[in-house]
Amino acid sequence: MKLYRKEGNILQILSFPGETVEKGDYLLVEDADAGRALIAQVIDVQFASIPGVLEELLRSLPDGGELIKGEDVDPLEIAPHISYIQDASLLICKIRATAENDGLNPSTSWLPSRSQSTIKKLPLPTLLKLAKIDGKLPIVIGGTKDSSLLTIDATSLDGRLNIITGKKETGKSHLSKLLMVNLVGYKATVVVFDLNGEYLSLGLTGDGKRNANYDKIHVLTPSQNFKLALKQLNLHVMLGILIHALHLPGTSAREFRRIWIALKEKDSLTLHELGETIRNWNCNQHVRDALFSRYHALVNSGVFTDNIAEATSLEEFLLKTREQGGAIIMNLRNTSSIDRQIVVEYILGKLVECLSSSKLKAVFLFAEEAHLYLRETYWDDIVTRMRHFGIFTTFVTNQPDTIRENIYRQADNIFLFNFTNEHDLDVVSRAARVDAETVRSIARDLPPHYCLALGRAVRDFPIVARVKALDVKTMGETRLFFASSVGQ
Amino acid sequence: MDTTLPHQFIELSIHSLKQAPDHAIQLNQQDIQQFDSLDIHDETLKLKLQPLPLIASRQEKIVAAVDTSTMKIGETSRGIMIAVRGATVWKQNKRYRYVRFGPFIFHVTEENKKQVYETLERTYFSSANEHGHQGAPSILQMPTRIASLLERWLQTMAAKTINNGLILFDGSLTAGTAETPTRRMKEILYSARKGDNVVLAFSKMTNLRANGHRITELLPDHKPPFLLETEGLRLKPPMVLLGEVYVARLTKGNLAFRLDIDRDVLPEPRIEAVERLLGNDLFAESYPETLRLAHILCTFTANEVLAMQHFVTRRFGLQFVNKPDMHRLLFGVFGKGEGYQ
Repeated sequence: MKLYRKEGNILQILSFPGETVEKGDYLLVEDADAGRALIAQVIDVQFASIPGVLEELLRSLPDGGELIKGEDVDPLEIAPHISYIQDASLLICKIRATAENDGLNPSTSWLPSRSQSTIKKLPLPTLLKLAKIDGKLPIVIGGTKDSSLLTIDATSLDGRLNIITGKKETGKSHLSKLLMVNLVGYKATVVVFDLNGEYLSLGLTGDGKRNANYDKIHVLTPSQNFKLALKQLNLHVMLGILIHALHLPGTSAREFRRIWIALKEKDSLTLHELGETIRNWNCNQHVRDALFSRYHALVNSGVFTDNIAEATSLEEFLLKTREQGGAIIMNLRNTSSIDRQIVVEYILGKLVECLSSSKLKAVFLFAEEAHLYLRETYWDDIVTRMRHFGIFTTFVTNQPDTIRENIYRQADNIFLFNFTNEHDLDVVSRAARVDAETVRSIARDLPPHYCLALGRAVRDFPIVARVKALDVKTMGETRLFFASSVGQ
Repeated sequence: MDTTLPHQFIELSIHSLKQAPDHAIQLNQQDIQQFDSLDIHDETLKLKLQPLPLIASRQEKIVAAVDTSTMKIGETSRGIMIAVRGATVWKQNKRYRYVRFGPFIFHVTEENKKQVYETLERTYFSSANEHGHQGAPSILQMPTRIASLLERWLQTMAAKTINNGLILFDGSLTAGTAETPTRRMKEILYSARKGDNVVLAFSKMTNLRANGHRITELLPDHKPPFLLETEGLRLKPPMVLLGEVYVARLTKGNLAFRLDIDRDVLPEPRIEAVERLLGNDLFAESYPETLRLAHILCTFTANEVLAMQHFVTRRFGLQFVNKPDMHRLLFGVFGKGEGYQ
């Protein structure tokens, strides 16, 4: 390999046949005299612009486009040299850091010698060691191309905003399960908004037996094993549900507040009493109608109950996870859009309540396709206010444009799976810790189950890894019409 | 004229070469690709403006073409590094086939040029030519001379192996020059006739003029294909013309070429040969495809020059260094580069 050109933080390196370098590989451009080396990542492999190649290709085609056949008497064996030159490739590399005095610095301001520099592939284990991508709480993401393991530190997710994104069926949920299981293993509290029921069997191995996490995985399904008594709710949580999930107007919300306070004073906060009170409340008929319609929405959701015995205490589940860690899976499968929003409003409100009263240290929240249940104002809340309370969110989506740009800008870690759509790649490349060329070039060619890890977890050295298999029972598979007939 | 500065540059250049005697210096594409034959201006030449109309004859015949190319790929402190390649292309059963020879790379120095040339002559023709007594050519003539040797050998092979075909040469059928000895060309034409072949030589460029005009530009207003005959062309001895010279306009378009057809073939079969060529080969701008392919196949591309330099570097440990462009050095933006001399 030969150093050809440097423009900004882009290096162009000539590579010759036999030097197998692919996108995503790291190269070490070492200038022995300068006593330092550039660490650069290959983001694209192109044909080198060799003069005369076009003529070479054209002359093998006579009229009609069929290859002309013949014999080459080449006693000096020049032909292999022609192929050697013709097959030379140009590696477009992004400089990631400078290695100097056994350490790394992000400087790209110096120029290595073009004639004297040696260029070699930097094995990922060496890079991981140099960049100190390991840690005391390791999470093995998977295997890299050169058979080493990509291990990130669980602390790199702590207090951070993460995004897992990629096309459908590329392995996003698999990675989020992997992160989640590892976090639970390190005694963290995890809450998952499970839209497709994919996380329900995390406590079971692939063959259906209980695994080590069985007792730590709590699956809550609204209106089944997740019901709430009104007494468990704070007024501001209930108002949040009414205003944000059920779009109750301000005037009606004020009346509802009076009704709620009156019922609470009488210690009769039940659905039945709430209904009766709205019926008999002295207020404008339009307000009453508005309140009644929301009341019926609450009743029909099936989430609320007057039977204290069947009411679920989310706080209890959360406190259970405090010592040994655990995951609360909110199964939002088969839940209507409004009911989803009701549940999410309640849970986020409850989490903030528990965290602000220091009952919990912090919570890792995994939100799948959050745009389907997260209200507009929560996006900013989650990345700013709620983060300070200790809610550290991981968004999982196959529609990157549903996540707002400011979320990308503040994302600390991005786990990117394959995308081919330019628009999707454009959206992701807005992330502050990512350069657009890397995202566009590498993500487009990622095979299924391979992810490009970007950000703090990999010390800003984008690394491609095949996400390791997880021995948990697979759920959330798409129901297929032709599945049985194809198998026959 | 003050020549101090250029001399100084040359001296500097020579001095730098002496500092690194084993280094070759890359030239700025001073190639000698596709040499053309020497045309002689003759005031007695007349062009008959009465066209000989041609009718394409579909009767199947092999069409073969021979061409060579040479290129200087580097310069050493003692001489030059040249590459030569030749190609024979033939069309048979509506398909083109080729055999390509080379590239052959020679390092020619003052010390070895005689030996190289004579050894090649002996290798190809088992004898030295009649100009042998004149000694080996100068180093600058060596690329074309070596390429000519290869071309004559390829032509000999084609003439001896093809039967009842049309053999196309690049250039003219002028002989008696150092590059084309008369005896050798006569032998080639004799071999061709012996195999019932007709040799047709197309010149891409000609300087032959009639009434002060280039013969290929004096075209009558007649629908192609047609030939124009010439008469009265006399060459200075020892040069001889072994072909009958025509101007051929074989397709629509503005181009016409000088076409030499073996003089020892009777006039009628000569015309028939051109008609069969029309019926058996493709033409673009009056130029036969077989000859075009031969030319294309032997021409060196920039990629191949790089490959040959790579070969020389790897095999012989020579390193190529860019030679400063004197025109650029001296005249800056007004220097057009050595290729424009």
